[in-house]
Amino acid sequence: MSVVDAALVAGYTVGDFLLLAAAGFTVLAIGMLYRAVKGPTMQDRVLAVNVLGTNTVVILAILSAALSEPTFLDIALVYALLNFLMAIAISKFTVERGGVL
Amino acid sequence: MIDALGTARVALVVAFTLLGLFFTFVSMTGVLRLPDVYSRAHTASQADTLGAGFGLAAVALTIGWEAAGVKSVLLLFFIFVTNPTAAHAIARAAFEEGTVPWTEGDERR
Amino acid sequence: MADTDAAGDADDEGAGSGTAGGDAADRSGDDADRGAPAAPTGGLVVPVEPTPTLRATIAYAVEAAVDDGFSTIHLVEIASWRNGDPDADSRAAKAERVLERAEAWANSDLDDLDGDRPPVTVATELIGADEYLFGPDDYVRVLAAYAKEHDAGAVLLDPEYTPVGNTTLLQPLEFALSNTSLTVETAPVTRPTRRERLRSEATGGRFVAMFGFSLAFYLLLGDPFYWFDWVTGIATAAIVSITLSRVSIDTEPAIPRTPMRVVRGVIYVPVLLFEIVKANVEIARVILDPRLPIEPTLNRMRVIVGSGLPLMTLANSITLTPGTLTVRARDSDLYVHSLIPSARDGLFDGSLERWTRFVYYGRASARLPTPRERDDCAILQGPDATEELPIAAADGGAEPSESGETPPEPDEGSDAATPEVTDG
Repeated sequence: MSVVDAALVAGYTVGDFLLLAAAGFTVLAIGMLYRAVKGPTMQDRVLAVNVLGTNTVVILAILSAALSEPTFLDIALVYALLNFLMAIAISKFTVERGGVL
Repeated sequence: MIDALGTARVALVVAFTLLGLFFTFVSMTGVLRLPDVYSRAHTASQADTLGAGFGLAAVALTIGWEAAGVKSVLLLFFIFVTNPTAAHAIARAAFEEGTVPWTEGDERR
Repeated sequence: MADTDAAGDADDEGAGSGTAGGDAADRSGDDADRGAPAAPTGGLVVPVEPTPTLRATIAYAVEAAVDDGFSTIHLVEIASWRNGDPDADSRAAKAERVLERAEAWANSDLDDLDGDRPPVTVATELIGADEYLFGPDDYVRVLAAYAKEHDAGAVLLDPEYTPVGNTTLLQPLEFALSNTSLTVETAPVTRPTRRERLRSEATGGRFVAMFGFSLAFYLLLGDPFYWFDWVTGIATAAIVSITLSRVSIDTEPAIPRTPMRVVRGVIYVPVLLFEIVKANVEIARVILDPRLPIEPTLNRMRVIVGSGLPLMTLANSITLTPGTLTVRARDSDLYVHSLIPSARDGLFDGSLERWTRFVYYGRASARLPTPRERDDCAILQGPDATEELPIAAADGGAEPSESGETPPEPDEGSDAATPEVTDG
């Protein structure tokens, strides 16, 4: 019997709880979207998108645990890599235009 | 059906998930409230890293000692290394573009 | 003044256009371009936009003004909006700030010249805000009108000057300007890019370390008990280590040292985690407080950990512990932004620095005085500021104090000049 199926309260399992938590993370991510839209500077936006990306990784991982879909974790891993690369590339590109690419 | 060890594990999963939610909430509040890029980068790199760390730790605990669990631990380490680096890169980009850090008395941006 | 001019001309007999050269010796190369007319007097107009090369362009403008005997440097910003636009006020205020900064740079450069301050004045003006400007011709018309009004005979362009968004206007601008009576020159400055080589030498030790690491990573993601994963894993690890072993590993792995570092690193991780959690709680309290009691300042700290990986570890640890954020690591000088004073004090106590030294060099070298005791730290902002904010130096210009002698080529001078702490 795995932890995901363990009963928590009133017939709900840990899996249900994790799904709820993923919903909570999504709500927080929507909050951060405000900063990505508002800015005001380019760096603010990159920062907000980076935080959003980290959040997405966590959501993917939690979904993978809650739904017992181990492949989601691979996607989360790739997403984390791309997220990091995005932040580095954009900040390098704004400082040293043409210096990296 | 589930032994004491299992109960402890479930309790830890719940605790870690709630802590992760809490610190991500702190990170969101910081990103929305703080006055400039530099101070926002603080919460983006730190509170968010910890929030993601707790979230992924909960995932690793849920999955247990399997390939997927190892992967989520790997993900955790990866985020702990890359998040501060990314925040540093962004802050540095702002610095080199000449953004002056906000100090007390400036108007909020 | 006449002396320097003559010397400059002699130097630059064979030099090409002003844009070709990158260094200070070329600074009168434009005289050749200007051809027959005598050195212009009156004013030098410099269109200003917040570009990365602005600092260096201003330094060059000051040089040019002194050498060619201009009496006034006109720093003008051409408005790309029109008065009465919805956001005209905020854009004008922004432009004013850029102009102020540029003026301060020009004045400090003039003050820093050897000998007395030359009789050059600096004027700033925001022009063109009373109409919409379409394309380079309109810009040139406005510029020419301004130059005529203020009796200025020459224009100096910033090579990155782009008044409207990201469109390259420089060449059309230069062309349109050449149809006027103004003399035009593009400042021979380059954008600060660093192009040092990342590679170190390829050695067997590095190759083996990289190969083992990437194979282990591959098998961790795949299935170590499946023969096909071994085949693909070995192939991938070989490709990775052939291409990247020289880039990723910067010091040669050595048998007693590298495993010891790993072991000490494993000791460090829980300590760091504890620090992170402890400080995060404190920061959470500050951020969730309705009054938001933050006191952000930028600080400078000289650290003794060596360069490369140790410096990265320290900078990342500082960033991870809440309340402090590494903004810039220039050799062993770290610029750290701190959110609350207690975080700053913790930083200056140097426990993270000590831990990093412990991880990389062992217990003996951990016992060094703290940055505070060494007097290696400074606060750059706020009421307790002990040093000036180096923003002007940061965006590519030469250090204000040096700009008298060596204006452009900031990339090599400023980065190689500072001494580097090496392993030890």
